[in-house]
Amino acid sequence: MTLRILLAVVMAAIPLVTGPLAARPAGQAARAGGPLEITSSMMVERRSAAADGTTRVTLVKPTRVSPGDRIIFVLAYHNVGTQPLSDVVLANPLPRAIAYRSASPGSPAPEVSVDGKTYGALAALRMPALDGSTRAAGADDVTHVRWRIATPLAAGAQGQFAFQAVLK
Amino acid sequence: MSTYVARHRLLRGTAVIAGLAFAGTAQAQSGTAAGTVVTNSASASYSVNGVNQTKTSNTVTFKVDRKVNLTLIADQPANTEVAVSQSAAVLKFRLTNSTNGVQDFLLTANQGVLLNGDNFDVANLKIYVDDGDGIYDAAKDTLEFVNELAADTSIAIFVVADIPADQAAQLANVTLNAQVAEGGSASTTVAGAALTQSLTNDDQVVDVVFADADTVPRDGRAFATLGYAITTRDVTLTVVKSSTVISDPINGLVVPKAIPGAVVQYCLIVNNATLLTPANGVNITDTIPANTTYVPGSITVGGIPLLGACVLGTPMNDSGAPVALSPYTASYNAGTKLVTATIPQLNGLQTLGVTFQVTIN
Repeated sequence: MTLRILLAVVMAAIPLVTGPLAARPAGQAARAGGPLEITSSMMVERRSAAADGTTRVTLVKPTRVSPGDRIIFVLAYHNVGTQPLSDVVLANPLPRAIAYRSASPGSPAPEVSVDGKTYGALAALRMPALDGSTRAAGADDVTHVRWRIATPLAAGAQGQFAFQAVLK
Repeated sequence: MSTYVARHRLLRGTAVIAGLAFAGTAQAQSGTAAGTVVTNSASASYSVNGVNQTKTSNTVTFKVDRKVNLTLIADQPANTEVAVSQSAAVLKFRLTNSTNGVQDFLLTANQGVLLNGDNFDVANLKIYVDDGDGIYDAAKDTLEFVNELAADTSIAIFVVADIPADQAAQLANVTLNAQVAEGGSASTTVAGAALTQSLTNDDQVVDVVFADADTVPRDGRAFATLGYAITTRDVTLTVVKSSTVISDPINGLVVPKAIPGAVVQYCLIVNNATLLTPANGVNITDTIPANTTYVPGSITVGGIPLLGACVLGTPMNDSGAPVALSPYTASYNAGTKLVTATIPQLNGLQTLGVTFQVTIN
């Protein structure tokens, strides 16, 4: 319970939610009720020269984003309940202006979909062509990504997935 | 609090590796329009003790910034060839808006320094934006700044200037400068304010990012240079003289003969054979032949010859006084027996006639 409150405070401190809450019945209030917390964030890379001469890349809020810029989508999950959760699937439909590129290094690769129905590895997906045939799908065709967590998620377990995309 | 710190570290760890993964994708098109709000949320499904549950994440947004890019090129294969004293000579440029938004563009021109053969400046220099047909039309192309140019579209821009009457002139370079300005106002009289690059990164605000990669990169400006090259210093002017007996005292107008008392009409056909270059202040003089008498008030100027024969033009005053609605003047000097006709401007490829009549003594 203490943890729950702390987390809520942290969420308020990071103003990630700026959309109209009233328009989203599944917003803050609903989230407090379930045992699985999921937090979406979009970040951009900022490069700066470090003292040792290398280039340091940090992730910052997407305050300056123009077409062609890379955006990292991070999806964090946390089982805040007392029961293990099974069959956990985290899905992220891509915003229309976003083109999928790849899983972030260090994150498991998501299953991707070009229609929101069929998920799989990108190489296995086909796109319909005008002449009725199909062609191999490319990263630009991806409309949805999802991760399935195979083993039950124990109480208190948490983690995150991330993928890279560019602003069209 | 520990939860947050742990997650934050995790995130940074991911990022440092991610930075080396791939280069950003260059886009030929300007991309998502500035001001677009990109919204993301994720969802989860899971089961607790066999009961399926779903969950929606928070919603995160950012606003797409204005990535300013433009190109300005000379839109003609070479310098414009002009003649000394030519007026309204045109240079054609083309401006492309590669910004992810609708923009105005401010236009200025400056005349090149006297280098690389540039040895004179043109006069009365104006900049006009094309109305869309790609051809300069003084009546239609009157806007002096680019108004509301959509993303990924281009438009022709004309520099129009007069060439001075300087026989030593050879080349005048003109550099056209375009500066990105705020769009959003349809006003064709007031241009948008010049854009400046945002100094801060404001969240949920359309920042201005200059992304032009030309000679001076990331300044929101572009320039291109074209020149006026003098190729014509003189014009080919010819005068052809002919005469026709109009009437005689015996036969009248029917097959008149050149007998004393007959009226003879002289015809001077003047032609400027040089394309596009007017001849200014053309004076035609002719002394009437001996044994003839000038017919008072018989000078006409401006008739357009037909099949090599003169057609009567506007009657002139023998005194040289101007004639209403006619640019021409003419005079007859009874002392020197000299007929003079003055044509203020004879355009390139223009032909016109001067006529006068005498009687045979």
